Amino acid sequence: MEISAIGKSRGERRGDGPVSISVRGITKDFGHFKALKNVDLEIPAGRLVALLGPSGSGKTTLLRIIAGLEFADAGTVEFGGKDITDQSARERHVGFVFQHYALFRHMTVFENIAFGLRVRPRRFRPSKQEIRDKVHELLRLIQLQNQAGRYPSQLSGGQRQRVALARALAVEPGVLLLDEPFGALDAKVRQELRHWLRHLHDEVHITSVFVTHDQEEALELADLVAVMNEGRIEQVGSPDEVYNHPATSFVYNFLGNVNLFHGRVDEGKTYFHDDATGRPIFIRPHLLEVTRQPNGANHFRAVTKHINAAGPLVKVEAVTDWGATVRVELSQAQFRALALAKGEVVFLTPKEVTIFDNGTVSRG
Amino acid sequence: MASVASANALPRSSGAANGVTTRATSEPALVRRLLIGIALLFLALFLFLPLGAVFATALGDGVHVYLQTFRDPDTISAIRLTLLAAGIAVPLNLVFGVAAAWAIGKFDFFGKSLLITLIDLPFSVSPVVSGLIFVLLFGLQGLLGPWLIARNIRIIFAVPGIVLATIFVTFPFVARELLPMVQAQGNDEEEAALTLGASGWQTFFRVTLPNVKWALVYGVILCNARAMGEFGAVSVVSGHIRGLTDTMPLHIEVLYNDYQFVPAFAVASLLALLALMTLVVKSAAEWKSRQSANRAASEGETGL
Repeated sequence: MEISAIGKSRGERRGDGPVSISVRGITKDFGHFKALKNVDLEIPAGRLVALLGPSGSGKTTLLRIIAGLEFADAGTVEFGGKDITDQSARERHVGFVFQHYALFRHMTVFENIAFGLRVRPRRFRPSKQEIRDKVHELLRLIQLQNQAGRYPSQLSGGQRQRVALARALAVEPGVLLLDEPFGALDAKVRQELRHWLRHLHDEVHITSVFVTHDQEEALELADLVAVMNEGRIEQVGSPDEVYNHPATSFVYNFLGNVNLFHGRVDEGKTYFHDDATGRPIFIRPHLLEVTRQPNGANHFRAVTKHINAAGPLVKVEAVTDWGATVRVELSQAQFRALALAKGEVVFLTPKEVTIFDNGTVSRG
Repeated sequence: MASVASANALPRSSGAANGVTTRATSEPALVRRLLIGIALLFLALFLFLPLGAVFATALGDGVHVYLQTFRDPDTISAIRLTLLAAGIAVPLNLVFGVAAAWAIGKFDFFGKSLLITLIDLPFSVSPVVSGLIFVLLFGLQGLLGPWLIARNIRIIFAVPGIVLATIFVTFPFVARELLPMVQAQGNDEEEAALTLGASGWQTFFRVTLPNVKWALVYGVILCNARAMGEFGAVSVVSGHIRGLTDTMPLHIEVLYNDYQFVPAFAVASLLALLALMTLVVKSAAEWKSRQSANRAASEGETGL
């Protein structure tokens, strides 16, 4: 993969390294719908950042505001410390990759990638030969050297996505913004492109922001994850931070499977209430120990209801004495050692429970 | 017995699988032929026969007489006026149609549905009424008539009136052809062009226009055909001054009423030729635009 060539030519041309992005107090309404509510976000230069959230959480709106395709009702956007709130998309010099690619359908792959260079004012426009070299360099980068003369309709989804990326990179943008870049692709291609994008970013070091609703994608790909919910940012942190130290119950819930109980914790012992009183108590499915016999400490009884042994983890669904459904994940080895079957009584001991209490998190 | 029956059924069902015999949606041969026959008969009666008659009558006294028609100054003047009216109306409506389709297709604004309705107005109003509107506006007893007379500007019973009426009658064509295309394509490509640094004009000429060019060609062709063929509205504002305010359709009527059948049909044959050419270009444009629509449709597919 020849990514270094692009990095070099970027450096030669612009000399100013990657650009940081600051978003301050951004608010945006669509009619009565409040898409963004006073959002602040600092994106350090050269990082790959994920905006993660369910649909309707405002993540795409925030991305489009950063790009200048949408304008906020209040708040400011800065690139590298410079206020660009009032600049148009054209002036902001961003690379934007659209969810459905938005390739120019009447242009070949070559023409699509060359577009950003061809529309430059004459003074800044590279020569024909320079454009040709640049496009071929990018075609090599996206491994589509032989497809230059094809039309977007003749390409597969994954190929189109790469052309869209090359087209955005051709203008050597200060920041790269990607809206659900892998959303419309099937699982296998998505995986491949994910790795490819990670490699690309490691080489080019352009400040990149991508929107996704796939927590696995965000955690795997990003340096920083901003988890969004209902127009607000719930938490910003490294994948490790947001996954292992979620700041809010929403983040905990959204990143990975979780069992929700109600009850209280007294001196290390968890008491579950059967009537949804008390505080919400979260337990990850893999943080429940399964035993055949009561082991004294902190256990509760459940009856296994459904077992799915396909995959690296065995997923067990059980029903507690008070009628709640609880999900448990076991390793294949543990599962075989226990020799579990449907309809059997087991004892579950939480290894870790998480309680969110007005902003403070307690674990036990 | 049962085994015999199934053995009989076997070849027939395999024939159906090959598509040789009937499908569920096809009709018996007799019904099919009858329907096709009726359609062809209808076409022959109402299209081919009149078209043939036009050319037969026009060329009835020989090519020399046919060509003689086009040396008559009044005929030449009528052709010239028609070309002038179309030459002004079509470019204006091209600009208006593109602007309207773009505004409606790409932006949301107050009064948008009213504008869509208004674009269709010339379609729903009788051409005679369209002509009368201009008479009522610019005629002697009209709203602006006295003011115009005082300044010695003639619109009704003069060339400006004919041009105005033609513009009015033909303005929906381009907009109507473009609108569905522009709406279907959305804003994605324009936004992409914008982020790549293209200006508004560059975006329009390099991205928007190429995507709708065949619909545009089709719209212009239809607009032109109507502009040259319009009778009703133009007839009201023209005043039928021979050699001055007669367009081709009006001139044909005048010649016909004078029992000059060959010249009448000779001029008519020109309009008929225009109609045929319109059909050819229309078919080509439709075919091309279907191709690019297919291209656009497969754009949405995914997978490697």
